[in-house]
Amino acid sequence: MTGHGQYRDAVAELVRGVIGTILPGVPVSAMTEERHLRELGADSVDRVEIILSILDLLSLDEPMSSFSSLPNLGALFDFLTTEKSSR
Amino acid sequence: MTAAALPRFGIEALNVYAGLARITVPELLRGRGLDPGRQANLMMTSRSVGLPVEDPVTNAVNAARPVIAALTPGQRDSIELLVTSTESGLDLSKSVASYVHDYLGLSRNCRLLEVKQACYAATGAVQLAAGYLASGASPGARALIIATDVALTDERAEYAEPATGHGAAAILVGGQPTVLALDFGAFGAYSYETLDSARPTPEFDIADVDRSLFAYLDCLSGSFADYQSRVDGADFVRSFGYLVMHTPFAGLVKAAHRKLMREQGATAAADADFQRRLLPALAYPALVGNLCSGSVYLALASLLDQAEIEAPVRIGLYAYGSGCSSEFFSGIVGPGSAAAIRAMGIGARLAARRELSFAEYRSLLDVTRHCLVPEPDRVIDVTGYHEFLPDGGQHLVYTGSKQYHRRYEWR
Repeated sequence: MTGHGQYRDAVAELVRGVIGTILPGVPVSAMTEERHLRELGADSVDRVEIILSILDLLSLDEPMSSFSSLPNLGALFDFLTTEKSSR
Repeated sequence: MTAAALPRFGIEALNVYAGLARITVPELLRGRGLDPGRQANLMMTSRSVGLPVEDPVTNAVNAARPVIAALTPGQRDSIELLVTSTESGLDLSKSVASYVHDYLGLSRNCRLLEVKQACYAATGAVQLAAGYLASGASPGARALIIATDVALTDERAEYAEPATGHGAAAILVGGQPTVLALDFGAFGAYSYETLDSARPTPEFDIADVDRSLFAYLDCLSGSFADYQSRVDGADFVRSFGYLVMHTPFAGLVKAAHRKLMREQGATAAADADFQRRLLPALAYPALVGNLCSGSVYLALASLLDQAEIEAPVRIGLYAYGSGCSSEFFSGIVGPGSAAAIRAMGIGARLAARRELSFAEYRSLLDVTRHCLVPEPDRVIDVTGYHEFLPDGGQHLVYTGSKQYHRRYEWR
């Protein structure tokens, strides 16, 4: 596995941990790459909280609007991995 | 320019009209088959509902009439600028302001305008008016800015439907700012193009929820950063005794406040700070819903009615309009501000709105969702809505149109 792949796995684990904290009823097995936060039951305020918590944990300063169009969790993992790697 | 020489302009009077009917959020969620658990994050308890005898003109006039009634004839004639701010326009050429000017009996020596930038426009108009008045071009003049809108949302809006309001806020701007003395030159703006929500036709709205909420949050950070760049020592946590924000729904304001507190390194204090500085401004929005560009002024009225303001205090205000444009600004309120708002009896009127069942709501919506559609001739049977109207004959109602000219009566 490449360093990039390992880093993406670490980002995905961190994101799943945050989702589990904000949505305690959602099992990790349900947080598959093709699903959107909406499909996991996150309402708009939950989605804001999840993204802000992720940005805090990764020490990223990224506009919220960057997350408006990401279609699923896989795209979120990719975006965060790229952003974190580029800094 | 020294502090003592700064012009002193701002809001002399403020009134909010939020309709004659309401539906509770649990009743609306139940009727639509939506998850009642979502009410916790919405932080909404009810919303105002329009009637077929109401439109952007009646809302504006019914909001402004008590403000005008409290003026002397000379003060009324000093209103040299009337601006309606609306995303519920009635015509591509003729302004809502032209009707409102007539029914308020304002001087013919008055500029009339309608402005549009979603939920931001009224604040832009207030700032431009204050700047014009401060220029000294017309000493003693006043400006009346009225934010007025109607709701078109239906089941397609899902959880935005219970958060959508109906009504108007009338804001009298002048040199005796009893309600809010604006801090001259203390503002921050942040705008960029996005399609987060819009009203592409007179009959429905479109919205991208995440794009809109995220833009609201980015704009709060961006406009406050611009404010900080203009105001020495400005500090989100310490500079403002209270905060007043555009309120699409109270839960978003809570999230936005939390974001700013995080950015200031004050996360640990966020919950207590929210309770102390923001909660008073959310009481009325939680009962009314999003009042578009009047929302921040509904929140201001809420603060002044709910908080115990015993001495002059600086407050921070944030307006955001989809599309998008935003502004963070500030001003001073005091005990006189609270007294002026109490005299308007806004809380009592909100409590007096008639509660609707979901069936009644849906029946009304079938009619009101077409209220902005131009029709050459339309007749509305006002008698069917008498039970909603207050006594006294001082309430303007919409009765229809003749050759596109909209008709109104005092009832």
